[in-house]
Amino acid sequence: MAGTTSGPRSAVVVGGNRIPFARANGPYIHASNQDMLTAALDGLVARFDLSDRGVGEVAAGAVIKHSRDVNLTRESVLGSRLAPTTPAYDVQQACGTGLEAAILVANKVALGQIDCGIAGGVDSASDAPIAVSDSLREKLLAANRAKAPLARIKALRGLRPGHLVPEIPRITEPRTGLLMGEHQAITTAEWQIGRAAQDELAAASHHNLAAAYDRGFFDDLVTPYLRVTRDQNLRPDTSVEKLARLKPVFGKGEGATMTAGNSTPLTDGASVVLLGSQQWADERGLPALARFVDAQTAAVDYVNGGEGLLMAPAYAVVPLLARNGLSLQDFDYYEIHEAFASTVLATLAAWESEKFCVERLGLDAALGQIDRSKVNVNGSSLAAGHPFGATGGRIVASLAKQLSQKGSGRGLISICAAGGQGVVAILEAI
Amino acid sequence: MSDARTLTLDSTPNLTVLFARAAATSIGRGGPLQDVQVRRPRTWIHLAQLAAYDKVCGFALRDTLPATYLHVLVFPLQATLMADRRFPLGMPGLVHVRNRIVQRRPVDAGEPLTLRSSARALRPHEKGAQIDLVGEVRVGDELVWEGVSTYLSRGASVPGATMPAQHVVVDLGPEAPANAVWDVPGDMGRRYAAVSGDVDPMHLSSLAARAFGFPGALVQGMWIKAHALAAIEARLPDAYVVDVDFSEPLLLPSIVNFFAAQQDQGWDFAVRSAEEPGDHLRGTIRAL
Repeated sequence: MAGTTSGPRSAVVVGGNRIPFARANGPYIHASNQDMLTAALDGLVARFDLSDRGVGEVAAGAVIKHSRDVNLTRESVLGSRLAPTTPAYDVQQACGTGLEAAILVANKVALGQIDCGIAGGVDSASDAPIAVSDSLREKLLAANRAKAPLARIKALRGLRPGHLVPEIPRITEPRTGLLMGEHQAITTAEWQIGRAAQDELAAASHHNLAAAYDRGFFDDLVTPYLRVTRDQNLRPDTSVEKLARLKPVFGKGEGATMTAGNSTPLTDGASVVLLGSQQWADERGLPALARFVDAQTAAVDYVNGGEGLLMAPAYAVVPLLARNGLSLQDFDYYEIHEAFASTVLATLAAWESEKFCVERLGLDAALGQIDRSKVNVNGSSLAAGHPFGATGGRIVASLAKQLSQKGSGRGLISICAAGGQGVVAILEAI
Repeated sequence: MSDARTLTLDSTPNLTVLFARAAATSIGRGGPLQDVQVRRPRTWIHLAQLAAYDKVCGFALRDTLPATYLHVLVFPLQATLMADRRFPLGMPGLVHVRNRIVQRRPVDAGEPLTLRSSARALRPHEKGAQIDLVGEVRVGDELVWEGVSTYLSRGASVPGATMPAQHVVVDLGPEAPANAVWDVPGDMGRRYAAVSGDVDPMHLSSLAARAFGFPGALVQGMWIKAHALAAIEARLPDAYVVDVDFSEPLLLPSIVNFFAAQQDQGWDFAVRSAEEPGDHLRGTIRAL
């Protein structure tokens, strides 16, 4: 290990950059994942003068990816103002992608394998790949393998018009066939999360994000792209009353409480975060906004185990808190990704539930209540939108800046992901 | 204000109509070069068109415009000038032989632009006559971009002494391997026409190209230039001159090699046939 005697050094968050998030099929309709990630990188390069300073590594990824984008991150680096000699690799952990990338980079910094690195993520719901059906694909591959022309024709025999219908990616879980929203509707009903509480959380997300923009909080975190200057989904003047008028889109009957207003919309966008060792930042006169303390992932059996698809972060915090000797209340800020308003509320309810904490988490008592005024203080995904891979980077950079402005304390990040996974992390003021 | 010498456009002219008009009025062109200019104030970038251009040429979709995209904006003004009966050379068969672009600073896709085009330096050439179409892009009063497109009219004759042709000279090192191989598909002329408006028939169909003495359809030189610029896009300076010679026509489809070598103040580059000797394009980039 490089130059430390008391265990690994920790990485610090130097800063971040993202493009404003835009609703799917909106202003970024013609932008590819590579275009957006390149734009986010170039904004970061400009902000921290990285073309001259150099960067050890870039880790980023997208959830919805074209098959041609094998090396999406490296290709984006080559198209950016970063040195063409900067290594890069792709990461993919559904909505946990951006935070997982930050963990990977922070760990390499901590181990002394790199002095600094960039973590990020991107997603376009507009420029989505379209796949051919498995039947057509199998026949085309067989025809391609066949050597003689006749064998090729034979391989394509039995092709039906139905085989030609393209497959458009949907946010369904392959093993359950349910949309993410349908999964969350089950959890919402199980935890009896009411409509009013969801709409209140959604309204607060918009108001907090709008207030953060108004006080210039995002001035050094967001770079305009294609004439978009603020997150397009943001509705500063929304209210609980307005949100209450929307019709439910997920769930059935009386339990149907999830609307387009308290669920995140499909979004396009990209974000990146610059991490480095304290020494690297100091030597270059760069700020250190927050220390990247620790992180944890967990997964739940949502297929046959009776746990909610998006409940894994509730589990992930347990070893994270234990390892760091912290209680759930020892945080000044909580960044809980708003996949749906009810995801946040169900997670909080689970932590407050003695039954859940004892029976499912194996604890002696409930993790307990947290101060709701400390949750998502600068808005979250309901207002900003949620380009899957880009949410982690958005949260890490914003929380680090918030901690830096406060000058003390720590923050907890919690992100749920498809496949029943959860990624959580702790940041601490310096 | 428009007078006889300044044509002011308030929208982008239909290039297919202009090409047809230029063809229909090409007989009997000649005489001295007159002082005519075309102006187009208040031009805004259409992001969907920019994105389509970027995709065909290989640029990333950015907020700043590729230097060659401003040529695409100025091109309809050039075509207007060439279709005007006062223009001394017939437009059909005019060949773009050299293009020099000066980008004084990166131009943002959100800036309102004033475009201007005029012609100068009608001169004899060993194969006919040459003329320079000069383009200018301003943001307010600030000159941000200049382009000089040199066209050759084969067989045309204009008075004066033939000057020796000036060529772009590149230093690519001895026997350097290609930086990239480009597989240029048969429909590239049509694809570039769709995003640039350069619908000269010799780029669209081999039949039309044969009428002008080429063995088949050839891709627009400005696509080759744009694709070359896109290949080193991330390493371009903010202000630079990119000067290229179009030598051998690039017939479609083709597999060609791209060479680029970094120089003191920029880059030298070339696009060469993979099979035959001769350059399709030779170019230099120099920081300002």
